Amino acid sequence: MQKYPNPMNPSVVGVDVLDRHIDPSGKLHSHRLLSTEWGIPSIVKSLIGTCRTRTYVQEHSVVDPVKKTMELKSSNISFTNLVSVDERLVYKPHPHEPHKTILTQEAIISVKGVSLSSYLEGLMANTISSNANKGREALEWVINKLNAEIEEFTASARGTMRNSMAAAAFVEK
Amino acid sequence: MNSVGEACTELKREYDQCFNRWFAETFLKGERAADPCGQLFRRYQLCVQKAIKEKDIPIEGLEFMGPSKGKTENSS
Repeated sequence: MQKYPNPMNPSVVGVDVLDRHIDPSGKLHSHRLLSTEWGIPSIVKSLIGTCRTRTYVQEHSVVDPVKKTMELKSSNISFTNLVSVDERLVYKPHPHEPHKTILTQEAIISVKGVSLSSYLEGLMANTISSNANKGREALEWVINKLNAEIEEFTASARGTMRNSMAAAAFVEK
Repeated sequence: MNSVGEACTELKREYDQCFNRWFAETFLKGERAADPCGQLFRRYQLCVQKAIKEKDIPIEGLEFMGPSKGKTENSS
């Protein structure tokens, strides 16, 4: 849920939750809207306006707290007349190594009505495949950040406790 | 992280804080208590739905989707 912002996906500029509920089996469903901004030169943006350079993606995620799995499905909702990108990610515990997580990621890309479609599909497949690595790095970055925050919090709590215990001991004397 | 509607970012942050706390401390620990963020979510949603309409974002009734419905067909 706290995947963005991260330095590996600078193009995601907005995230909104559209719906969230727990289904009868206890799994958490979320529907989110992601807005992304491609690296278009600002002079072009000033001519055509930022509304035209924003692309939107809808994402449906399901978290199973018992099986400890998370599945994400996303698809573009902008430029659907030109291209369709459907992505599915599944995070689940490693079957043999309990401290590891397995991520499987697949994407179906189709480019419509363009004669260079197989070239463009190949290009997009390469981009998505290299982005898959970035996605994994991004999550590792977020995990490290959260761990560092927890350590900092624990260290300062310990410091505070030590101070109060020392003060209490001093008072007792 | 910002909201898609600039005016909604603060409401989004308040909701996110509430949700993230419930998610980590209650939901992931296997406790069944519902999240206490309903009102914050409703206020945030009113703002977002308005922004979506204003920016003409084509979500096509996504907000009405229930858990059993699949992805809506894109018309091209």
